[in-house]
Formats: sequence, C-alpha cells, structure tokens
Amino acid sequence: MNNTVLELENISYKYKNDLILNKINLKINSGEKIALLGKSGSGKTTLISVLNGTIKPTQGEVKLFNESFEELDRKQKSKITTIWQDLRLIEDLSAEQNVNCGLLAENNFYFAFKNLLNISSFKKAHKYMKLCRLHNSIYDKKIRKLSGGQKQRVAIARSLIQESNILLADEPFNNLDPKLITTIKNLLLENVDKNNTKKSPKTALVALHRLDLLNDFDKVIGIRDGKIFFNIKRNNLKKIHLEKIY
Amino acid sequence: MNKLKLNYTSLSFLPILVCIPLGYQLINNIHFGGFKLFQEFLISAFNPKIDNEIIITIIKRLNETIFIGFFSWLVSIIFGAIFGIISSNIFYKIFNIPKFFYRIIRFFLTIIRSIHEVVWGIILMQIYGINFSIGIIAICIPYIAVNSKVFAEQLETIDYKSFESINQINAPKFSSLLTLIWNPIINTFKNFGLYRLECSIRSTVILGLFGIGGIGTSIFLSFQTLNFRELWTYLWSLAILIILSGLIFKKIKFNTTNKILSIFFITVFFVTILFSFSYFLYFIFNNNFENFNFVNSFFKSSSDLGLFVFLKLILETIILSLLSTGIAISLPPLVIGIFNNNSSKIFIKIFAFLLRLIPTPVILLTLLTFNNPSLSLAALTLGLHNAGITCKLLFTNLDSQDKRNYIAMNSLGISKKTSWLLGLFSQQAKSYLAYCAYRSDIIIRETAIVGVIGSVGLGWQLKESLSSFAWQEVTIVLIAYSSIAIVGELINGKIKNSLT
Ligand SMILES: Nc1ncnc2c1ncn2[C@@H]1O[C@H](COP(=O)(O)OP(=O)(O)OP(=O)(O)O)[C@@H](O)[C@H]1O
Ligand SMILES: [Mg+2]
Repeated sequence: MNNTVLELENISYKYKNDLILNKINLKINSGEKIALLGKSGSGKTTLISVLNGTIKPTQGEVKLFNESFEELDRKQKSKITTIWQDLRLIEDLSAEQNVNCGLLAENNFYFAFKNLLNISSFKKAHKYMKLCRLHNSIYDKKIRKLSGGQKQRVAIARSLIQESNILLADEPFNNLDPKLITTIKNLLLENVDKNNTKKSPKTALVALHRLDLLNDFDKVIGIRDGKIFFNIKRNNLKKIHLEKIY
Repeated sequence: MNKLKLNYTSLSFLPILVCIPLGYQLINNIHFGGFKLFQEFLISAFNPKIDNEIIITIIKRLNETIFIGFFSWLVSIIFGAIFGIISSNIFYKIFNIPKFFYRIIRFFLTIIRSIHEVVWGIILMQIYGINFSIGIIAICIPYIAVNSKVFAEQLETIDYKSFESINQINAPKFSSLLTLIWNPIINTFKNFGLYRLECSIRSTVILGLFGIGGIGTSIFLSFQTLNFRELWTYLWSLAILIILSGLIFKKIKFNTTNKILSIFFITVFFVTILFSFSYFLYFIFNNNFENFNFVNSFFKSSSDLGLFVFLKLILETIILSLLSTGIAISLPPLVIGIFNNNSSKIFIKIFAFLLRLIPTPVILLTLLTFNNPSLSLAALTLGLHNAGITCKLLFTNLDSQDKRNYIAMNSLGISKKTSWLLGLFSQQAKSYLAYCAYRSDIIIRETAIVGVIGSVGLGWQLKESLSSFAWQEVTIVLIAYSSIAIVGELINGKIKNSLT
C-alpha cells in the first residue's frame, strides 16, 4: 500500500533574500504517521504551510493525490486539515463557534450564518470538544477568555471535526499536561476506536519538539536550515541523526 | 522627552494666532444697528415661547425630523456596511478579485464623501424640487460613503492569520467572508453606527434650514421673522431630542446571542435593502424629468466664471478652512486652561453644548445681526461650532485621565494653570491634535454651509450657479470642492499618521 497522497517536488521558498526552504523533495504515503523534527527556525512551520497550500513556493510543485495543488477544487483541497502552531482561531467568537468553523467546508452559507447567530446545532462540535476533554462550561466562552491549553484543544477540536484523512499538525501538544498529551495524541493519530466504519487510515505529519513522543510514529523527518537531513523509519533513528539537526 | 511633549502642547495653542487677522476684519466690519436684535436673541434663550399651538407644531416638526433622520441613518448604515465590505482588502483576498476594482470603488467613495450633504441637498432640490425623500437621499449619499470608510477601516483589522486558517478549511467563499467580518461589523455598528444617528438628526436639521422640512425649517422661519422666543423653543426641544436619543442608545445593549432580537435585526436589514431598491426604482421612473435635462443644459449653459474669480474662490475656501480649524483646535484648551475651576467648567460645558446644538447657519445669521458678511465671520462661525465639538472630546479625555501628575504638581505649589498645562493637558495634546486633524476634514466640507449663507468661497458660488441653472459652473465648483477636500484629507492623513 504505497499510494502517495502528498508530494513535494523540488520545493524552494524564498522570503526576500533568505532561502527558507531549500530544494525539498518529500513523499507522504497514505496512512503514514510522520514526525517532523528540527530546531526552532529550521522551517517546520513554513514546510507545513507549503503542504497545505497557504504559502506558494517560489519554486517546485506541490501535489495532492498526484495532481498539482493549484488545479484542485475546493472540496479536494479540504481533505487536508491543519492545526497551526499559533492556532489561528477567531478570537471574538465562542469556542463552539470556532469548532463549528471546521464544518464550513461541507455546509452552505446558511450554516455559516446560523453558526454566527448561535442558532446552529453544536452537537457535533460538543462531541469533539468532549473528546478533547474540554469542559462544557467553556463551550460558549469567547476564545480570548480561555487558557492556553484550552485554546490549544479548541484548535484541535476544530481540526478533528473536519474528519479529514490528512492531518498536518504544528506542535499540537503545546500547553498540554502529560495526561492530555496522551489523549490528544491518540485522537490525532486515530489510535482510539471511535466505532466508525472503516475508513482509509489517517495520514499525519506532526511537527514536534519532544522526542519522548515519537513512539507512535512510523517515520521521522529531520529538517535543518530548510533542508531535509534525513527521512527514515522511526526504528532506524539513531543519536547521530539527532546530532545532525540539533 | 519633556521638550517633545511641550511641542505638541504648544502646537495646540499656536493656531489661536488666526484670531489676529480674524479679529481685525471683524472689528472693521462691526455695525451697531443689530445689537439690540442680538441682545433679544440671547435673552429669549431664557424665555422661550410655550403654548399649546407651538407644542403641537413642535411635535409635528420633530416627527418629521426623526423620520428623515432615522431612515437616512438606517439606510446609510446598512449600505455603508455593504460598501465597506466591498471596499475592504479581505473581500478581494477571499474572492481573488484584482485590486484594480478596489481602487476604483475607494476612489468613487472618496469623491462622494468629499461633498457635504447640504451641497447634495441643494443640488437635488434644484433638480427635483423640495420633498421629504430628497432629504433622505441627500443625507444618505455622503453618509454611505463616510460609513463605508469606517467599516472598511475596521475590516482591515482582521488578523491575516485567521483569514489564512479559514481559507485553509476551504469553506465556500461567502461563508468564509461572513465568518471573518461578523465581529468587526457588529462592533463597528455598536461603537460607531449608533453615534451616527445623532449625526444624521443634526444633518436633517441643517437641511431643514434649507427647506427640506422638519424642525430645521421651523427654526429658519422663526429666525427670518425674528421670532426669537419661538426660535429658542425649537432649539431647546431639539436639545431634548438629541440628549434623549443619546441616553436611549447608551442604555440599549445589543446582544447578538438573543435569537428573537437577531431575527428582528435581520428582517430590518433585508426589508431596508428591498425597500431602498424599490424606492430607488420608483424614484427613477416616476420623477418628472421634464424640467431637467442635465446633458442638454450642461452643454447649453456657458460659464462666465473667470479664472481669476474662480481661483480667488478656491483660495477663500482654503483660508476659511484654515481659520476655522485654528479656532477649533486652540480655543477649547485655551478656555479650559484659563478658567480652570469647577464653576467655570460647568459654564464652558453648557456653552460648548449650545455651540454644538445651534446649527451653523443660525450662528452665522445671529452674528450677521451686528457684523457685515465676511470671510472672517464665516470662519468664526464654523470655528466656534467645531470648537464646541473638540471641547466635548477634550473634556471627556481630560476627565478620564490619570490625575496624579496634576495633583502632585499642585501640591508642590506650582500654579493651578501651569500644573493643568504640564500635568494634564500635555499628556492629551498628541491625541487631541490627531482628533483635530480628523475634525479639519469635516471642517473643509462644512465650509459649503457657511459659504452659502455668508457669501464666501465656493459655497456661495455654488448657490449662485445653481439658481441660474449654470450646470457647467456647478460641475466646476463641485470638482474644485472635492479636490480641496481630497487634498485636505491626504494632508490630514499624513498628520494623523505622524501623531499616532
Ligand atoms: N512571515 C515570515 N516572514 C519572514 N520570515 C519568516 C516568516 N515566517 C518565518 N520566517 C523565517 O523562516 C524561517 C523558518 O521559520 P519557521 O517558522 O518555519 O520555523 P520553525 O521550524 O517552525 O520554528 P519553531 O520551531 O520556532 O516554530 C525562520 O528563519 C524565520 O525567521
Ligand atoms: Mg514553527
């Protein structure tokens, strides 16, 4: 089962005179769980932004399901979900409204409207918020009034509610305590059985700083100064690899 | 650091120097024939006419004013929001429309905005004759443009990152747009939109002076017949209306999570849009255009407006704006600083309220009772009226300011005036000047009102050209007006940027 879902072909990204991504080639296969390692400023966030189409690379091509990203329609692009490092929630909306924003892609304008007026159904949103261990007292609180870890989990719930098969997550475990980290990790990598009918397995690329969380990943990618230094099976990860990138 | 602050402070006082040429001309123009009238005008303030008949008139007239004011407010706020959206960056980003259109719309709105509602009013009245809906349309045209600017500015505060994240969810474009603009739009409505109702009532009153109807027309008629007691009855009732409307809106809290209220607002929103469109169509198809054929009369009419005269009018308008701005900037801090005690404060507040309340044409007409018409008189009028507005702002800011510096200086034995200046005002000076820069944009537009009445500048020429149906001249004057306003706005924008 080696069908590629996401592919980067010779990607470079230049900002002013800095080469932030440097000739990156990467194939992500269906069902793979990949950890993305690299020190601060190495280009992890930029790489994720290129993968989800937010940043257009200066050079090279991004392919989703073997088709150029530019040519895909909205529905196909929405198969990717992203958890941003800086969360990017809408501060003035409530937690549940923000989570419902994840459903905007599969619903019409009327849904968006009802969501803002607070008269849409929040059933699904609450289900995912509960899975993220969010207490129901914060459901209708504005984002700006939540704690760091609560905001983090709202962003995660917004991503989960999209039920996408491809997850890009940028340091999703920030601000979470050890117990929550395990729960969230299982949710993101779909290790828990949600009684769903069998779908194609989830593909995930997660940028990480904590090496003790690598256990559930199949592959590890090391990036430094915008270049991929290694792209290997987790079992093959040696100390020498880490020394190269940190 | 201290020196820099002192600079802003002195900059707030320096413009009072305009009083030298202004005072010179005013003194030369004084005539004592009308002093008695002026005295009578002042005394009548404490002795307004009150009887059954006038109360009935007031109720009727106020109803008209409220009707025009309210509907022009409603329509201009809704269409202001819509135009604000389509002239904001976020709209073009979401729909991937070339920036070219954005520039065109903004340019168009800037031009519309640069012309005062009174000018729109007298032009429309000349074309269509006097009726209610002309009042609403005249207010709506510039108001929509002004409101759309404010809405657009607020929409620029949307975080680019939340745009990217909604964009990455790949929602339908209208859903993304709505979700992103929702809060800025609602907040702008709460913070700015409600205040605009007061503005549109004031504009209705001023248009009333030019014959549109409502309390303004009564004020004008009673002034013409020198019936000052009646005049003051109208003015005081207007004061009550403005104070009440302010109070009511302070009390109302809009809760967007209340379902019934939301549905009510949405209904009002769509009904207003539908109504406006159908009215617009009705207006186009049912108006009698026989006596007005613009294209025809435009080319037939010839302009005998000499270049020299024209340049002189432009110069007059610019000088008028500068003089008035000078008064509006410096008078409030000067007066508050000099009469710095509690009883004077109340007196100043009342006086500032009256300056805001009495429409500029009435102030000008009153002053004309003992002074010949001149540029300085028009400038004084406009300056005083706007000083009433800047004064209110200065008081509000001073009252809410941290007073520890002031108290400390006072207790050190520094004189009250000096400690007010250095301890209180100096910290306000910068933001006060920034507000004044914004205010002078409005002053430039308002020169039209005093121009029409006080026979100065382009405003006066506009009236002359209109009454002789010289459409070519009208067009030239309008272009000149809007150029001055736009250039002024650009300069003020630079000043504001350097102050904030
Ligand atoms: N918007 C931007 N404009 C200019 N330079 C940027 C921008 N965003 C990131 N960079 C630069 O690109 C490089 C890579 O940044 P990136 O955010 O991808 O790093 P990262 O690996 O995610 O770091 P961290 O672990 O701290 O989040 C850095 O040198 C950064 O300074
Ligand atoms: Mg990062």
